[in-house]
Amino acid sequence: MASPENQPDKGERESVPFMQRVMDNPFLLLFLGVAIPGLLYLVWGVVEVANLPIAR
Amino acid sequence: MAIFPPTNKNWWNEPLEKTEIVWIIIAFLWGMVMFFSMIIWHVIGNQNLSNEAYRVKPEVYAERTEAAAEKYKVGEEGDSGIPVVHPPAGGDAYMLARLWEWWPVLELEKGKTYRLHLSSLDWLHGFSMQPTNINIEVHPNYEMILTIAPDKAGIYDIVCNEFCGIGHHTMVGRIHVVEPGGNVNYVNK
Repeated sequence: MASPENQPDKGERESVPFMQRVMDNPFLLLFLGVAIPGLLYLVWGVVEVANLPIAR
Repeated sequence: MAIFPPTNKNWWNEPLEKTEIVWIIIAFLWGMVMFFSMIIWHVIGNQNLSNEAYRVKPEVYAERTEAAAEKYKVGEEGDSGIPVVHPPAGGDAYMLARLWEWWPVLELEKGKTYRLHLSSLDWLHGFSMQPTNINIEVHPNYEMILTIAPDKAGIYDIVCNEFCGIGHHTMVGRIHVVEPGGNVNYVNK
C-alpha cells in the first residue's frame, strides 16, 4: 500500500502530467464512463426517436 | 506487483516494456479494424435498412393498411383466405404485423420500386424476408418505410424473428414477386 516514498513531497514543484491526473482519478473515470456512452447512445437515440414526424 | 501504487510518483512518462507496447498496439489496431469495418459495411453491405420512419397510431395504420388491401385486392390465399394485394407499381405497399400474422400477402412486380410500409398493432415483431437479408424490427407506434425494388420473381416468405408470444413460431407471411403484367393463380385449399 502507500509507503513514505510514494507520498508527494511537499517541496516538489514537478507538475503531474495531465493524462496521469485523469487516469489517477477514479471518480472522473466513472463519470466519463457513464456520461460519454450515455450521451452518444442513449440521449442521441432518444432525441432521434422523439423527433420523428407524425405519419401523414 | 501492480496492486501497489507505482514507485515513481510521475508514472505517466515511464517507458513501457516492449511486450506491453506490442500488446497495446495489437489490441488498438484490432479495435480500429472493427470500428472502421462498421462504417465500411454500412456503405457496402447492402443491408436494406429503413431510412424513413414516422410516428403513427396503430389504429390509424391498421385503417390505412385495410384501405389499401381493399383497394388493390387481387385474390385470396391459403386456408385462412388471407387477401393478396397488388399495390400500384412505384407506389406504397402496406403490411402490418399483429399477433400472430403478417397481413396481407403482397404481390409486387419485378423491376419496380415500392415503398414498403411496416408497423405493428401490438408489440415488437421481427420482419425477416426469406431468403434475402432484409431484416427489420417492427414496432407499434412507428411506421418504418423500406424502399425496395424486387429483382427476381418468386415467393418470399416473411418470418417473425422477434419472439412475440405463444404463436410466434406460426407467424409467417408472404410476398409474391411476379413479372410485370403477370399474376399468380391463387387457389384456396
